[in-house]
Amino acid sequence: MNKKVIPENRKIINSTHVKIGEKNKKGQVHTEPNEFFFGVERIKKFFTGSEVIQSAIKVAHCDVMVAYPITPQSEAAALIGELFADGYVGEYFRGESEFAVMGQCAGASFGGARVFTTTAGPGTLRAMENFPMWAGSRLPIQVCVTCRGVNSPLSIQPDTLEMSYLLETGMLIWHAETAQDLYDFILMGFIVAEQPDVHIPIAVCCDGFFVTHTKDTVDILPDDVCLPPYDPYKSPVPCMDMECPPVRMMRDPFIMKSNYIHYATHASWQQEIHAAVERSRKHTIPLLDGLIDIENGDRDVLIIGSGTSVSQSREAIRLLELEGIKVGLVKIKTIRPFPHEEVREALKNAKTVFVPEFNITGWLAREIKSVVPDNDKIIAGPHVAGGMTMPSEVIVVEIKTALGLEVEKIKM
Amino acid sequence: MKTRMNIRISGLGGQGAVTAAHVLAMAANKDGLYSISNPFFGAEKRMAPAESYARIGPEKIYDRGELVFPDVIMVFHPQVITMQKSYTAPFYSGLKDGGIILINTTDDLLSDADHERLNAKKVTVYNVDATSMALEIGGTELSTNMAMIGACAGVTRVVTLEGLDAAIQDRFGKKYVASGGTASLDQAITKKYAKKEMLLKKNIACINESYKRAVEWAKDKNLAVAV
Amino acid sequence: MGAEKIKICEDLYDIMPPEYQDIVENATYGKEGRGWKDIGESKELIEQHSLCAGCPESIAFRYILASLPAPEDTVFVGSTGCTSLVFPMVAVHNIHSLFGNQNAIATGLKRALMVRHPDKMKDVVVLAGDGATVDIGLDMTMQSWFRQEKFTTICFDNELYANTGGQESGLMQKGFVSKMAPVGKLFDKVRLPEIAREAGCHYVVMMTSSKPNRVEKAIRNAIYVAREIGPTYVQIYTPCILEIGKQSMEGLDEMKDSEGIGGRFTYKEYVSDEAAALIKKMEDAEKAAKKAAREKAKAAAKA
Repeated sequence: MNKKVIPENRKIINSTHVKIGEKNKKGQVHTEPNEFFFGVERIKKFFTGSEVIQSAIKVAHCDVMVAYPITPQSEAAALIGELFADGYVGEYFRGESEFAVMGQCAGASFGGARVFTTTAGPGTLRAMENFPMWAGSRLPIQVCVTCRGVNSPLSIQPDTLEMSYLLETGMLIWHAETAQDLYDFILMGFIVAEQPDVHIPIAVCCDGFFVTHTKDTVDILPDDVCLPPYDPYKSPVPCMDMECPPVRMMRDPFIMKSNYIHYATHASWQQEIHAAVERSRKHTIPLLDGLIDIENGDRDVLIIGSGTSVSQSREAIRLLELEGIKVGLVKIKTIRPFPHEEVREALKNAKTVFVPEFNITGWLAREIKSVVPDNDKIIAGPHVAGGMTMPSEVIVVEIKTALGLEVEKIKM
Repeated sequence: MKTRMNIRISGLGGQGAVTAAHVLAMAANKDGLYSISNPFFGAEKRMAPAESYARIGPEKIYDRGELVFPDVIMVFHPQVITMQKSYTAPFYSGLKDGGIILINTTDDLLSDADHERLNAKKVTVYNVDATSMALEIGGTELSTNMAMIGACAGVTRVVTLEGLDAAIQDRFGKKYVASGGTASLDQAITKKYAKKEMLLKKNIACINESYKRAVEWAKDKNLAVAV
Repeated sequence: MGAEKIKICEDLYDIMPPEYQDIVENATYGKEGRGWKDIGESKELIEQHSLCAGCPESIAFRYILASLPAPEDTVFVGSTGCTSLVFPMVAVHNIHSLFGNQNAIATGLKRALMVRHPDKMKDVVVLAGDGATVDIGLDMTMQSWFRQEKFTTICFDNELYANTGGQESGLMQKGFVSKMAPVGKLFDKVRLPEIAREAGCHYVVMMTSSKPNRVEKAIRNAIYVAREIGPTYVQIYTPCILEIGKQSMEGLDEMKDSEGIGGRFTYKEYVSDEAAALIKKMEDAEKAAKKAAREKAKAAAKA
């Protein structure tokens, strides 16, 4: 397992090309990331998730944002438009569909820009062909996915099924539990994704409505600092702006040949992308303080989850505590890279493990079961889907039933 | 405040149910309490069911999404009951024993069976004439949500008038992020009052009056306040 | 990129591939008035290609690359198909991402380059086949024109899907029997030049690649208009000799046959007033420069 980094020793690698301390055109000071994340004093706000996304981008030194309306990310995408009008974002426009938008993001990223976009549900699926292309082209684009149901039938409500489609795209996938997570993940996501030895796209996911439309308390950074700009010349592949020599002048390029060297190139390239996902750990662990959080991990019964299901579990644990039932909690923050060793270690001594999920397939439970040897102790549930809420009482019933305890029928 | 209070607001699209929950939660935040508010609606539409929730409490709140087991239910429009325009049937399903229901109406909209069930759960029902109050004081029925907020605060004391005042200043006094439909309604209201200050004043007056009446009603009823 | 950026460090010169040395010594980056006439005397920006012998695409490629006003600051966006076999051997930056999204990529790219290099003119040129431009990518092609994106779109029209083996495409002529059109194509060749004009392109040309000077003029005009005014579109017939049953040496004849009066590829252009004024200004300046050069030469000869 990656060794645990103590927060005092947090240090992440920073581009030396970009000048720390310089100001951008809005007068925001390029701040060294360690100082930016852990030194600068924050301001308390009572914000919706959409406002949180806007606040993060305001200090992200973002070059290009491409927008397209789809509930529940439309508000956030429109708010970033206001940042563009105010001069905080270099370029902003509405694309014609998510497929096109993700292409436009790719074009901007090929051109050396720090790129951000947002999407949800059907948009994520429409855009899908682009995501492996982003990864394969080593473009460190950030897409904020505000999860919603996947058609059919039509639903605009929160549901995390779309994340399972993203799992094997070669992107980093982080899952925010709260508005605070979302704020931090967006900003830290840029830094991790842009590391030269990572340099792949990142999907920062949150649950639609539960996070985007919920007003919550968030600590945000002041407007007078910003992340240092992205340095495209540290990319492992050339930036396509004709500011560095074109590389393809070979007589007999191996790509597009139907022979062994082409297969080998493709295969090793793909290996390298998935290796880059794993390499992101060393930058992610200090920033996120580990890929998972554990609370009372020594208890016999554990709940493990990501996103809003963690919040609902926290409430359920409080309710169970009132009845004298002690349950621990494991929160997964990164789905890719999947914290397999951390999860295996965290669940090692548990007797029963529950995986509450906001989707019909229980994909997270599958991921967890695949890394835990005695995985018959893992109960994939409770599940809700299609936008249903998961009241903490439902988690309580699930746990008590599985433990063979007497369960009072929930009165409506 | 000793325990969490969960407030469910059932209204119709365009009535300001979402704004009401945000204002209550913001007020609680100003009062130094923990709070979370969120809306729940389908594709945004006028007169379609719209719900919102405010969770307010003395310790950090994680719970989010649809509020299934509320302590307080506010009904912003008679159609919520008469035409079943709510996400749960009946509209009070999940209400905790000893809970409170505030309905914007002058008439008793509940059936005998409803009364029977609610009596068994020791639920108190307060019929608020919020729309009349809104027209009378705010000069527009768009202030109905303000009257309902005032009534809620008056009956439950979940937030203070000072907190509400500060929240209203925040919500209407500066540029605020609202979804498409809400934004255009805001504009309609702003035009109607011509001046933002007037809007603020009238909204606050509406809240104050409704609060006062609710306090009196609660005193008459000898209602033990949950907070 | 200044031409100096491709210079080789002296110590490493001898270990660089000869092709690269050749590019540094003999390519026409940064050369004023570069054009098709440089072919044969300079190092072309394209190495050997892996297209079929005699493929008209290959010659169109050479004419286009020779005609770029500033290859040292030009980025190409391609798409999947025969053209993507050539791009790996082209000595300007070029992007291949997916099939059909080329105008979306170019949009993002152009805008990013404008943000990142506000003081430099970076040309973005899309070069894709007819399947990518008209069928699968039509939405993105047209939307980039509606939005008045400042780049040039070039379509290599071979009237079918060549790389997948000759299937029907929207630019195929009506009645042509091909794979996936077993009883002949049932509808007319899509009139993309007209669509381009209506969608907001300021300079539209439909032509074949039989005449290098014409290709050069169209490409240069298209790029200059795109720089200053807005989207431009050039559709070039590059027949797929393989799929229409011709021999390697018959490509040129096929193009010449189709561009005669009443042919499918009779030269046509649509130029907006703004673009016409710009082109006239450029031509006048060019004439004046030539005249001045001639007079200077004359004076020098006298002296």
